[in-house]
Amino acid sequence: MKATIRIRRFNPEKDKKPYWATYTLEDCEPTNRVLELLHRIKWEQDGTLTLRRSCAQGICGSDAMRINGRNRLACKVLLQEFGENPKIQVEPILGLPVIKDLVVDMEPFFAHYRAVMPYLVNETPPPVGPDGKPRERLQSVEARERFDDTTKCILCAACTTSCPSFWANGAYVGPAAIVQAHRFIFDDRDQLLKERLDVLADPDGVWRCRTIYNCTPACPRGIEVTRAIGEVKKAIQAGKRDF
Amino acid sequence: MTSLVLTITETLRYRGKLGQWAWVLHRVSGFGTLVFLIMHVIDTSWATFYPELYAKAVDAYKTPLFTAGEFALVALVIYHALNGFRIALFDYRPQWWRRQADAAKLVLLGTLVLLVPAFFIMAGHVVSYYNERVSVFDLGLEKVIEATAPFAIGTVVVIGLALVVSAGASFIPSLNAPKKQLKGSKMETFMWSFMRISGVLIIPLVFGHLAMMHLIQGVFDLTRVGHVPVFTNLGPNMEATLTAVNFVRLRWDTMLAGVYIWRIYDILLLFLVVLHGFNGLRYIINDYIHNRVVNRALRLASFGTMIGVLVVGALAILQSVPATTAEMLSQTSQVLIETNVNLLVR
Repeated sequence: MKATIRIRRFNPEKDKKPYWATYTLEDCEPTNRVLELLHRIKWEQDGTLTLRRSCAQGICGSDAMRINGRNRLACKVLLQEFGENPKIQVEPILGLPVIKDLVVDMEPFFAHYRAVMPYLVNETPPPVGPDGKPRERLQSVEARERFDDTTKCILCAACTTSCPSFWANGAYVGPAAIVQAHRFIFDDRDQLLKERLDVLADPDGVWRCRTIYNCTPACPRGIEVTRAIGEVKKAIQAGKRDF
Repeated sequence: MTSLVLTITETLRYRGKLGQWAWVLHRVSGFGTLVFLIMHVIDTSWATFYPELYAKAVDAYKTPLFTAGEFALVALVIYHALNGFRIALFDYRPQWWRRQADAAKLVLLGTLVLLVPAFFIMAGHVVSYYNERVSVFDLGLEKVIEATAPFAIGTVVVIGLALVVSAGASFIPSLNAPKKQLKGSKMETFMWSFMRISGVLIIPLVFGHLAMMHLIQGVFDLTRVGHVPVFTNLGPNMEATLTAVNFVRLRWDTMLAGVYIWRIYDILLLFLVVLHGFNGLRYIINDYIHNRVVNRALRLASFGTMIGVLVVGALAILQSVPATTAEMLSQTSQVLIETNVNLLVR
């Protein structure tokens, strides 16, 4: 099976503007993933093609890119989805500065992530176990279930860079940061609720979300992203965890 | 501006689903409606302040270009209303998100279902108007330019002034301090609720307004001899030829259960729609204009225009209160004040 791949290329040392380059690959399998095709191009045709990937298993979240117009993980997209002799278009995710080819600068994204304080805060001493040593803070099954969905985030930025509000204004913290905030806002072991809600009630926090729903189908982990953002909005309006 | 261009081109390129297109339509329809609203409030106020100008404006509204615009306006308002209801619903019930795409389809369907009869009725007015007229079909471009030129000039002047003020304000250090960390905004939190609640309240008001003023009777009926404005008392002026100014007065002077029902209706509609619309414009400005000076200038211009439209609209409705009623009211308030003063003195 023959595959044609168009890639948005950009080398800041050589190119004034990004451009499209087309590659053809013979002997592709329907079960090949887009990531494997990119590897073959880099290894067989043009070693300068630059992309990020680590685990190649859909866990590390390094290879988010825009594939045929939608944000996906290159390691999770099988060729068979595009039919016989597939034509595939690959470009970097939008809204973050392109460093080279498919690699973007993730620092603004991680700055937004850090801004929502993505860690558990609990100042009370941990409970003591039967052996007299501190042990973990126990939580009911129901309380754990409340934020289960948002624990699945791998910080690939597919949701944030699918959002027209984020494209328009990079100051918006974006869906991924709000998903991470949701994970701690609805954790009943956390004690930083007021501060968390205050951070997200910033004009560049949840209020920049216009309920467009691009983020939900963009998530490779199937997180109900727009729902999580909506729940954070309601928590802010109510000023408490249970609204 | 680059941010606006990027958002438009990339929204066209990104293969988002129906939710993305619903959002595009919502922005476009909201902005279009606001532009018309500003013109509409100001020119209707002429019925009170400059009766001759109002007659000219109504003449311009009868030209084919404005007729086409009115059809577009009705389509925009209906879509914006139904889609706004969908957004409010799913914002307050985020757990229902799986149904949002169906809801977006329903909004499109509902818009069509409402638009077909609406356009049919509106077209009836247009056809009967052109049947009665003997003169040739005339685009009325001159009249359109004449009627819209003050608004175009006004827009340029207001934005120009705002740019000067904003550039001046950039010398105030505290206004230019970069943001250090995220902090809750009570205003944005309130505005989010306000947009949804006001939006839902506006729907029955604006649908009623569209039905009365654009469907049951169109702009062509305003000056039709013998036309009785719907839901009004037959005033003493009915014997005379109806003028556009008379039409507005007759409507506003109609009393139901001792109150000026249409004055109250129009004030309510005015405040809700203007606050809702201009806050939407503020969202658009903050989303796409990042240059500090220009952003501040546009927000200033928009805020100033909002206050202006509110004041002009409210004054037009209140100042046209017949002298006898106004006198009665002022006497009542006089008595009330005197009673209070007496009570206080004692």
